[in-house]
Amino acid sequence: MNLAHSLWIWVGAFLTFCIFSFLYKDNPLYKFAEHLFVGVSVGYSISISYHNVLYPDLIVPLFKHGQLLNIIPLLFGLCYFARFIPQVSWLIRLPMGLVLGFGAGAAIPATLQASVIKQIQGAVLTPGIFARWDFFLWALISFIGLICTVIYFFFSKERVKSTKFAAEVGIIFLMVGFGASFGYTVMARISLLIGRFQFLLRDWLGIIR
Amino acid sequence: MKFFQALGKIDRKIIFIILSVVIIIPLLKPFGLISRASSRAEAIFNAVDAIPVGKPLMISIDFDPGSMPELYPMLTAILRHAFAKDVKVVLLGLWITGMGLGEQALETVSHEYNKVYGKDYVFLGWKSGVLPVVLGMGEDIRKAYPADYYGTPLESLPMMANIKNYRDVPFFISLSAGTPGYESWIAYAQSRYGLKIGAGVTAVSAADAYPYLQTGQLTGMLGGMKGASEYEFLVKEKGYSQQSSPASQAMDSQSLAHLLILILIVLGNVGYFFTRKTISKGAK
Amino acid sequence: MQRTLPLAICFIMGIFMMVQFFVPHPISTNAYDIVLKWILIISIFALVLGVGSLTMHHTTKIRRKVSGWQFSIITIIALVVTAVIGLFGGIGRGSWLQVIFRNIFVPVNSTMFSILAFYMASAAYRAFRARTKEATILLIAAFIVMLGMVPIGSAISKRLPELAEWILTVPNTAAKRGIIFGIALGSIATSLKIILGIERGWLGGGRS
Repeated sequence: MNLAHSLWIWVGAFLTFCIFSFLYKDNPLYKFAEHLFVGVSVGYSISISYHNVLYPDLIVPLFKHGQLLNIIPLLFGLCYFARFIPQVSWLIRLPMGLVLGFGAGAAIPATLQASVIKQIQGAVLTPGIFARWDFFLWALISFIGLICTVIYFFFSKERVKSTKFAAEVGIIFLMVGFGASFGYTVMARISLLIGRFQFLLRDWLGIIR
Repeated sequence: MKFFQALGKIDRKIIFIILSVVIIIPLLKPFGLISRASSRAEAIFNAVDAIPVGKPLMISIDFDPGSMPELYPMLTAILRHAFAKDVKVVLLGLWITGMGLGEQALETVSHEYNKVYGKDYVFLGWKSGVLPVVLGMGEDIRKAYPADYYGTPLESLPMMANIKNYRDVPFFISLSAGTPGYESWIAYAQSRYGLKIGAGVTAVSAADAYPYLQTGQLTGMLGGMKGASEYEFLVKEKGYSQQSSPASQAMDSQSLAHLLILILIVLGNVGYFFTRKTISKGAK
Repeated sequence: MQRTLPLAICFIMGIFMMVQFFVPHPISTNAYDIVLKWILIISIFALVLGVGSLTMHHTTKIRRKVSGWQFSIITIIALVVTAVIGLFGGIGRGSWLQVIFRNIFVPVNSTMFSILAFYMASAAYRAFRARTKEATILLIAAFIVMLGMVPIGSAISKRLPELAEWILTVPNTAAKRGIIFGIALGSIATSLKIILGIERGWLGGGRS
């Protein structure tokens, strides 16, 4: 065993056990660590925001280089604080409208291209799949699965016999997909726990290298 | 019969203890199960290998310490690979709480290869609003990032002299734990500017990335800690680094923990079926 | 005016961004550059708003001595100390902000997510039942992927990783692609509704 010499590692280990104590039951140590985390995370975000965004993108261009056009986004941004003044609280809608319109307008062509057109291209049965019998079979299964899954998600019309059957096949594909996701999710959660144990055993106790 | 019913009623604190033991033992006494590289990991590895000398690899840190055990080993392994091959590195991120991790990784790995800031690698940092960054860098990186993470103007960094926008970036890797992440880069940077993208993702979202792999929108994928161990394996196999591989060391624990979960599910179902049998017999 | 003006701004910005995607003319790209810069600056104020709301929430808790108000003091002190250290001490290599990040933020954040492993194991044991045909299919797929994706799977059988790979690349891809289509078409429809002013939930309530 080679215990850590750095006090900060001990602080990290203490906070780790504070959070782990929640597994037994909620307690003041856990609450302390949780509230400390909230405060630190917001303070950290403020620091990064100022040094990475506010200073280089607003303060320097507006006040040092005299680029007066930046007053417009500054005024829009200040409208967010109208939320705290009931008489003019409607002003918060202005920057929200701007950002929402921007996001929605940018999303439409991007989503169409990346998530619809490209995915249709990937699903379509092309001549290349006939190169081997198994390529063809898997591509066909995948194509049928896709059609059935999309039919399953069509809720606005009552299902007839054929679409009912297709929807049931779609559910099977969805269950296989969710099973695969669950399998991977187990891996993810276990990995996070392994990471903490590695910190405790390696960095704090020095038992493993 | 009562024994089988009891199988379905194990106290959860006992499960917690067993899970902890199952994870700790292989960390103390490894079995040595080896994780070979998948074709998805090799695709990213080969893409980084193929970057011409003087051109940059761009990496986006789209995760926070909550996903660190899965994605941080990927970041360090990729950095080691890039630095060993004298590939320039540009690091940035869409998650504000990932910036400290980027700084930590660069500090650790750059020293191993004697890399100089501004000449061999640059850390751009974080910007608010995802789209201004992802779309802005397609036109001019300097407009999206007038200064780097440390406040140094980009013009004064020698490495950035020949890197104007995505056209100067042969390969881009997004290490993502959710949204915003690789999907944002595919939707906005790739669909508009044709950026070649690879992804390292948490295992939670690995299954969701397969459609993008199949269409070629993603050139390779590293999924979870397994993906990180695969990349570490490749980096070590090719002789680019001999540093310790935390993800690879974890695979024994991962394997045993998976077996435990499967056993628990089986036990739970056995207990459930025997309980149901008893209830239906009692009703008759 | 209080609803019309924001809706008009939303409409103009939405149409501009949609059209700009297809127009490479210098006037269009220059306007695009300006808009990107503006959105970047405006977005940071949303964060400031969030910080203000959090601070108000905790100071109200302290003032009214609501249950757990002592912990709110910890939050406020941690926020102020970290912000002051970061704003005046810098964020670069070797800074005190980095020390706080690595030794306070990282351990707590990582551990909070890691305890999910315990709850997931407990939940899998208690709730994952093969009650129906669909649940059984899900269970079998999960079993195969869980074993196939770790080294012990290939130690048990060489076929397991191949089978897991097949599940991921064929039926899983088909299902996830169907989900991607659904989400994509839904988000396009919602975006259009927002731009055209049909979806007005973001304006909030009230006569104005």
